[in-house]
Amino acid sequence: MISISSDVIRGYNDTMILYLLLEKPSYGYEISKQIKSLSEEKYVIKETTLYSAFTRMEKNGYVESFSDEDMSNGKKRTYYRITEAGRAYYQEKCAEWNLTKEVVEKFIEGN
Amino acid sequence: METLRNYLKSMFQNLPNTREVQKAQYELGQMMEDKYNELKSEGKSENEAIGIVISEFGNLEELAADLGIDSYIHPEQQAMYDKRNITQDEAESFIADKQKSGVMTALGVLLCIMCVTPFILLEYIGSGSSVLGLAAMFGMIAIAIGFFVFSKVYMDKWSFLNRQSCSMDFSTTDYVHHERENYRMTHAVLITVGVMLCVLSFVPAAIMDELDMSELMTEGVAPVILFAMIAVGVFFFIVTGNRMKAYNTLLSVNERGTMGGSFVDSQKEQVHYDSKTVSAVMSVYWPTVTCIYLCWSFLTMDWHITWVVWVIASLVEMFIKNMNRDY
Repeated sequence: MISISSDVIRGYNDTMILYLLLEKPSYGYEISKQIKSLSEEKYVIKETTLYSAFTRMEKNGYVESFSDEDMSNGKKRTYYRITEAGRAYYQEKCAEWNLTKEVVEKFIEGN
Repeated sequence: METLRNYLKSMFQNLPNTREVQKAQYELGQMMEDKYNELKSEGKSENEAIGIVISEFGNLEELAADLGIDSYIHPEQQAMYDKRNITQDEAESFIADKQKSGVMTALGVLLCIMCVTPFILLEYIGSGSSVLGLAAMFGMIAIAIGFFVFSKVYMDKWSFLNRQSCSMDFSTTDYVHHERENYRMTHAVLITVGVMLCVLSFVPAAIMDELDMSELMTEGVAPVILFAMIAVGVFFFIVTGNRMKAYNTLLSVNERGTMGGSFVDSQKEQVHYDSKTVSAVMSVYWPTVTCIYLCWSFLTMDWHITWVVWVIASLVEMFIKNMNRDY
C-alpha cells in the first residue's frame, strides 16, 4: 500500500493545522482527528510531529496557546488559536502549494 | 493507560528536567490519552488501542530542535555512553546487600552500647572481679569491630556506585521508587519505636527506684535495662536507615537534571567539603566523638552526664555541614 512520505508532507503540516484553526481554536487530539478524517484516513499525523509544529508555530507567532476547559468533560486543555501573522502565513503557503502542484504535475505520468 | 504512561515516561527518562520538556511530556500525554480513550470507546481492545497509540506517537527526534535537547537525543555525541547501567537485578541485590550490611552494622553498634553492662552488672553481683567485666567489655567491642569491618568489606563490591557515573533505566527507577514508597510506612514506624525506646529508657530505672528495690536492682539491673532499650532503639534506626539509604542511593544515580533523576529531594544531597582539612577531619569525626565519649565516661564514671557528648557532637556536625554546603 502506498503511503505518504513524511519528507514530502513535512512542509505542509503547518498548512493543515492552520487551516483547521481558521475555523475555531482547537487542541492537539481534535486536530489530529480532523486531519485523519479530512484526508479520508490516508494521512495520520504523529503526536510528536503535531506537538513540534505547535511549538514552532507558536515561536514564530503564527498561533497562540491558551488554557481552557473542555466543554464536553471539563478537563483542562491547552488550546491553540491562529493569529493575524498565522493567517498571512497560511495564504502564503496556499499560493506556494498551488505553484508546487502546478510544477510537479507537469512531470507526472497519466495526467 | 498505565502502559502508555510508562512508555511516555521512559521516552523522556534521560531528557533534561526543564519547563519545556515537562510541558512537552504533559501535552503529548494528553494527546495519547485522548486518542486512547476514543479508540476504547470505538470498541477496540486494550492491546489494540495501546498498539495504535504507540505506532502513531512518532519520534522524539522531531522535538529535539524545539526543546533544545539535541545532545540528549544523540547521546553518542556526548560522553553518556560510558555510564555504567544498573539493571533491575542489580538494584534488587544492592538493596538486599545494603540491608544485610545494615543489620551487621546495627549489631555492632548494639554491642558497643551494651559493652558496659557486664561491667556494671558484675560490680553489683558482688563477685568483685572487675577484670571479668572489662574482659567482657573488650570482647564485645572486638566482636562489634568485626561486624563493622565485615559489613564494610561486604559492601565493597558496590563501591562503583560512588566512583563511577551510572545510569538506571526508567522501569528500574520506577520499581525502586515504588519500593521506597511502600517501605516509607514501615520506616516511620521503626523510627518512632526507636525514638520511644530511647525516650522511655529511663522509666524502668525510675520505677525500680520508686519501688525501693535492692541495690542490685536499682544500681545493677536498672542501668542494664536502660542501655538495652537504647541499644535496641539505635538498632532500629540503623537498620531502617540503611534500607532507606539504599533506595535513595539508587534513585540518585541518574543525573539530577534529567526527568529520571528527580526522585530524590535536594536536601538529601551529599555534602562536599570545600577544604581538604575539613573533609579529613569529618571523615574521622564520629569515631573521634565515640573515643571522647568513652574516655570521658570511663575516666570520670559520670555516665549520667557524659551522653551530652552525642547531642553536642551532632549539633557541631550540623553546623559544619551547613557552613560547607555548596549552593
